[in-house]
Amino acid sequence: MPKQMNLVGGLFGAGFGFVLAAGKLHDYDTIHNTLRLTDFYVFGLMGLAIGVSLPLLWILERRGTETRYGGRLSLARSKVERHHITGGILFGAGWSIAGTCPAPALAMLASGATYGAIAVVGLFIGLWLRDRQLIAASQAINEGDGERSTLPGTKTLGAR
Amino acid sequence: MGLLPDQLPWWIAGPLLGLLVVGLFVVANQPLGASGAYVQTIKTVRHDTDRVTWRVWYFGGIFVGGLLATILGPGVEIRQGYDAMTAAGWSAPAIGVVVLLGAIVMGYGARVAGGCTSGHGICGTAQRSPASWTTTATFMGTAVVVTFLLTSFTALGGS
Repeated sequence: MPKQMNLVGGLFGAGFGFVLAAGKLHDYDTIHNTLRLTDFYVFGLMGLAIGVSLPLLWILERRGTETRYGGRLSLARSKVERHHITGGILFGAGWSIAGTCPAPALAMLASGATYGAIAVVGLFIGLWLRDRQLIAASQAINEGDGERSTLPGTKTLGAR
Repeated sequence: MGLLPDQLPWWIAGPLLGLLVVGLFVVANQPLGASGAYVQTIKTVRHDTDRVTWRVWYFGGIFVGGLLATILGPGVEIRQGYDAMTAAGWSAPAIGVVVLLGAIVMGYGARVAGGCTSGHGICGTAQRSPASWTTTATFMGTAVVVTFLLTSFTALGGS
């Protein structure tokens, strides 16, 4: 990736954070009321986001579009594994309790909600805890098998 | 500054997010995931050698974008942010503990699943990835059930 990619990342992050805050997705009530099924704002928003991007990406992929910095456009279609279910259950429970998720928590803090900082710190702790486990597991593999340097899948996990 | 409506309609905010997802693919062939940005930020703080720098810029960008929308909209207001929990009669320290524990479980789960609401929920589903559709259905379903339990058995449900 060229150096300009940092600026691109910053701009896309800003666009993302802007839409999240403008849509009040960084507000506890928006998430909570959607999850208690009294307001369908988040479902509608996510549905339309997917509804717009899925067909466009499909068309771009079929046309073999060359991307600016990343070669030919390629979409990842991973098959379902057990960790998607267990991770999804844990993530869903935490999402419901904290009433925010990783990107909205940052926008929440930016908007002046002090407890957004607690959510951000908690997210860092949770992600870091799992990272420690993955590193420990890959080192255990290394001791038994000198050829494998990482756990299968850990690289792609980090890239998400 | 009051230049933005109180809440952008979902039928405007949704397509905007969708276009951002497509845009990052067209520019860099990359998914737009927030939990990965957290992970890369941790790696940068630890001076890890295989870090992805642009994801750290992306992380900072989310904060800046959120700040910008707040300034143009209602204006920055220093507040706690969990009024519904306060209204339920929970003390400030108790809310802090609840939010912290919830966020730890969420972060851990995101790393196990390999993504969060943005990485799997929007970007992965848009790539037609079975893993992302499964993860998204799982966390959505779980969140609705846990919210039902919270509103049924705690003061969060109101009286």
